[in-house]
Amino acid sequence: MTRVIIIDDEEDIRVVLKEIFIRAGFDVAVASDGNEGLNLIRETGADLVITDIIMPGSDGVETAYDIRMEFPSTKIIVMSGGGNTGPVDYEPSAIATNAYLASAEAVGADMTITKPFDREELIKAARELTGH
Amino acid sequence: MLAIHAVLLPLLSFGMLTVVRNVQQEIFTDHVRIYSRVFADMLQSNGQLADDERIVEALDSSILGGRSVYAVFQVGNRRLLSSIMNEYDAEKFVEDFSFGEHGDDVYYLAAPLVVGNTMAVLELGFDEVPTLLAIQSARRTILTIVMVYLIVTVLLAVLVSDRVSSPLQRLRRDSHKIASGDYTRKMSVDSEINEIRELTDDLEHMRSTLVGINARLEGEIASREKAEAERRKAETHLRHMHRLQSIGTLAGGVAHEFNNVLLPILLYTDLALEDLPDDSPSRPNLERILKLANRAKGLSEQILTFGRPSGEAMEVHSNVAPVLDEALSMVRALIPASIDIQVEIQRPLGPLECDPNELQQLVVNLCSNAYKAIKKGDGRIQVSAESFDVTPDYVKKHPRLEVGRYVRVTVADNGEGMDSATIDRMFDPFFSTRDVGKGTGLGLSVVHGIVAKHSGDIAVSSEVEIGTTIDVYLPQVEVSE
Repeated sequence: MTRVIIIDDEEDIRVVLKEIFIRAGFDVAVASDGNEGLNLIRETGADLVITDIIMPGSDGVETAYDIRMEFPSTKIIVMSGGGNTGPVDYEPSAIATNAYLASAEAVGADMTITKPFDREELIKAARELTGH
Repeated sequence: MLAIHAVLLPLLSFGMLTVVRNVQQEIFTDHVRIYSRVFADMLQSNGQLADDERIVEALDSSILGGRSVYAVFQVGNRRLLSSIMNEYDAEKFVEDFSFGEHGDDVYYLAAPLVVGNTMAVLELGFDEVPTLLAIQSARRTILTIVMVYLIVTVLLAVLVSDRVSSPLQRLRRDSHKIASGDYTRKMSVDSEINEIRELTDDLEHMRSTLVGINARLEGEIASREKAEAERRKAETHLRHMHRLQSIGTLAGGVAHEFNNVLLPILLYTDLALEDLPDDSPSRPNLERILKLANRAKGLSEQILTFGRPSGEAMEVHSNVAPVLDEALSMVRALIPASIDIQVEIQRPLGPLECDPNELQQLVVNLCSNAYKAIKKGDGRIQVSAESFDVTPDYVKKHPRLEVGRYVRVTVADNGEGMDSATIDRMFDPFFSTRDVGKGTGLGLSVVHGIVAKHSGDIAVSSEVEIGTTIDVYLPQVEVSE
């Protein structure tokens, strides 16, 4: 079975995405940050990782980079919340989501997707990447 | 000057008169004394008196010769009178000891002589009048000279003051004018006196220097005031931009959190709908939740459009007229046919480096706002787009623009217009004059974000009850053919 690991610091998102992937017939595990996600892949392996981009600890870009280095065949989808993220006193252009997504793609993410997205949109992308 | 004369001249003339009178009197008295002595001596020879007949003859000749007016010779008790005189005249003798005594105009003198044992006295009277007349005439002469001198002096003074004072007074008048702030009049005083001419030249030089300094200072003040006004304007603009940027950042942050909430709502609802039987009474409710969540998603996207920073890839479009056409056909579909939409677009229009979707959103939002401002029946919206040359003169009126070629998109309506407080806030996100729920307050802030991204500018002119005109300036790019 195609194994998907979902990494997001928001529990609601982890739970709902897990449910969706289970219903779509995937084998799903969840992690609440990048390190936990990486350990999970090391333990059980993964065909596809879906990670949020802004998280405490190691963020989505870092996580995507580490996964790509360690597991070159694992597919990666990076999700963004859109807008300017993080504390509002950040330089708006420095932390622009688009710049984030671009850097995630640059370090090896196979796809980026902007929240909120449709259920079908996500499942379609996952199937395309994994051939499931 | 005249005052000195007024004191000196009387003193001088008084002194001169005194000298003249004393000299005349001295001459007179010396003369009569010597004459009397010589006369007395003449009446005796070798210690013998002349005989009475001869004495009377001598007395007569003295009076007839005009030497004296009175002549009496007394020897002992014997008085010899000039035959021309009578007894009455002889009574008048009272010896004078100085000129003019007794007010009788006659100077009486007694010359005693001793002949042997006999005492005799020659009494003579001399007319004082000629001497008095001489003194009087001398006084007249002196007074005349003094008067002439005075008149000449006064005339000279008037003449001199005409030549010296009047140019000086004119200089003074002109200086006063300068002191009171009127620098413009040239100082020119014509005078034959070198010093006055030089003084005039110096003052004129000072004046023209002052005028120069003044003009420079005024220019400096004016340019400083202008710079200050421009700085204030730029500052206001910068503050406004800063506020918008902060709000944009904030909005972006809010959108991020919002999306993280919205995503599970959408997905959970989707899952719940999937689980429900088709005839479940909860289904329409969940569908409604899904619909509302999707509306919230649209709102979030709008916030992001505003908050999105520039720097996204834009492409150069040599002609954006078709892009605008498409936007306007969308506008026509959105706005009721009762509103008259007049369109005038220059063809081709551009080239413009832009995001066509955003350009369309800009036009749609502006038109939608124009439509919403129209409350009366005969609504009219005019949309025009053209290439526009921003000249240095135009930059003075619109300091945020730079000299060069722009695409100017104008949307004008005859709606209700805005007051200045509304204009100040019209681009603020979430600011809306419409009722809660009727507008997001994002339409114009999205326009602002798009214009800023395209390095353009917006000018708004509006009048309450008359309408609003919004000009959007987007800089054209130079494309090598």
